[in-house]
Amino acid sequence: MSEIVVITGAGGVGKTTLSASIGTALAAAGQRTLIITVDPARRLADALGVSLDGAAPNRPTRVDDVAELDALMLDLTASWEAITRRHTDPQIADRLLENPYFRAVADRFPAAQSYAAGEQVAEFADSRAWDVIVVDTPPAAGGIDFFMAPRQMQDLIGGRMLRWLTGARIPGRRLLYRTTARPMLRLADAVLGSALLEEIADFLLDLRNLYDGMAARAAAIERMLTTATVLVVSTDGPGPMREAGRFFRSLPEIAVSPAALVFNRALPDSWITARGPQGSSPLEQAVRDNMARWSTEARRNRDAREAMAARLEVPLVTVPWLRQAPRDLIALQALAGEHSGLLSLIQDD
Amino acid sequence: MLDRKLIIVSGKGGVGKSAIAVALGLRAQRAGKRVLISAMLEHTGAAIHLGADQLTYQPTDFASGVAAMSVERSAALEEYLRVQMRVPAAAPTRALSRAMQVLVDTAPGVREVISMGKPIFDTWQGNYDVVIVDAPPLGQLMSYLRAPAVVASLVPTGGIKVQAGRMADALADTETSTLVLVTTPEELPAAETSEALRQLEAEHLIRVGAVIANRVIPPLAVSESDLTTLAAGPGRDAALHHLALWEAQQAALDPLPIDIWLPYLFGVHTPQEVAAQLADFLEDAT
Repeated sequence: MSEIVVITGAGGVGKTTLSASIGTALAAAGQRTLIITVDPARRLADALGVSLDGAAPNRPTRVDDVAELDALMLDLTASWEAITRRHTDPQIADRLLENPYFRAVADRFPAAQSYAAGEQVAEFADSRAWDVIVVDTPPAAGGIDFFMAPRQMQDLIGGRMLRWLTGARIPGRRLLYRTTARPMLRLADAVLGSALLEEIADFLLDLRNLYDGMAARAAAIERMLTTATVLVVSTDGPGPMREAGRFFRSLPEIAVSPAALVFNRALPDSWITARGPQGSSPLEQAVRDNMARWSTEARRNRDAREAMAARLEVPLVTVPWLRQAPRDLIALQALAGEHSGLLSLIQDD
Repeated sequence: MLDRKLIIVSGKGGVGKSAIAVALGLRAQRAGKRVLISAMLEHTGAAIHLGADQLTYQPTDFASGVAAMSVERSAALEEYLRVQMRVPAAAPTRALSRAMQVLVDTAPGVREVISMGKPIFDTWQGNYDVVIVDAPPLGQLMSYLRAPAVVASLVPTGGIKVQAGRMADALADTETSTLVLVTTPEELPAAETSEALRQLEAEHLIRVGAVIANRVIPPLAVSESDLTTLAAGPGRDAALHHLALWEAQQAALDPLPIDIWLPYLFGVHTPQEVAAQLADFLEDAT
């Protein structure tokens, strides 16, 4: 099995760039590395200087031959289709994939997409083609979905509710509802109409066929995720910090212990006490006033990240703010120099 | 914008839409209106800006004069069944409501129609002059706004179809409803806002009343070349930092039709102070 590094956190905190720079550095250090992103933005492709729009979905692209670095942008729709075909017979798979409700489940349950991502990552890990796989998680719910999805999908598909709702299928694809469910179905019928109701129940029954295959796979994905090195990324700001906090609060449910809180785009501590230039020229005055503003910000920034790490009882790794995002491999490798703390967390495991 | 009965506030996650929903509420309250703030998905966001930990389905009256509630999904479904479908409160057992919840969650659009239906229903009730919705983030907003049409096309006979039709009309009625989009001056939120505006323009589901840029930093009266004359040090670094942020901010906001600019609040502020200060700025801007 490959070693798995999961980079998680809210959207816009720099997960993709961090994943790319960590992956690049690991590859440069001699590890066969695969970077997987679920972020549809072109950022990773741009930063790595490759096109990830390959013809075949979910096939890694070679980024660097010498360093054995590959990258992949996950196509979740394709993953979900592959999963359906893997876990059920062709006839049911066809029927499911044509069913609008099945499409809806795949599109609207973040758990379904995250599950698909997890199953795909597990498959790459099993192939042993890489020493390390760096996963840039989807931003939904601070990435917690990625970890909860295996359990959630099992609950949805194997849940008592589904068994209780759906009875047997009688010839002609009509559904025989469970008697116990009848009062509810009368109510549902009034709200949704009988035609829709029947289609939903039909669909739920088909979905149950996925259960055995998915349950076995989900358990394997959960094991993979519990041994992964998890880095939670945040930046200064109420949104990202709330997301990171939410991730940590959900930890008891997912048996994962993050290796570090990565606080990205931190302001320099030296600004806290800095006063700016002396002198009375308009330029010096403006720069001094601006310094006063940013020294307050730098203090708040430091206090916020330290308080957060202390509250969450997790090691803090601070990554400084850069004036320009890295746009190529060389810049990414240079950035990795700033991440020596992160790399040692990964390699110590 | 503030004279509409239903103000829906959305934006990419983390841009401060809850703070602005509350600030708009405070602003309307100061103008003498009876205000309900209705938080749809993020139940704590609006709460902390009002000085509370949590909101409940039952509206709470706050000292600032506004009322606020959270649209808790199971409660919304229960009320929908009771009020709209005339199912007696005692009838649905817990097992029944949970099963109903599974069905509602599975059928495309139904969950959204029932959740979005609650604040719309509250505007019809007339207990408040304005209902301000702290709506789902941009990524999910379109599926909420499109839900009535989806339901109308999928449900041939059910009772919810009638409801969905009335909802679509209420949202599209420019005299009743308006959408406020919030962005920060950063690349991703601005790009998502721009994409949402394009889709909204094409689909006529609701009219956009205002685009608000939040946390905008002020210009700095020096240029990068001015700074080369200064000695290296934190002062120069901080000035370069500010200029780089300013440049990224202008690039992000340039393509957007911004109606209201709200400044970045330097320093430490409690969430309640943030909402109150934003309300002051809104008073100047609207």
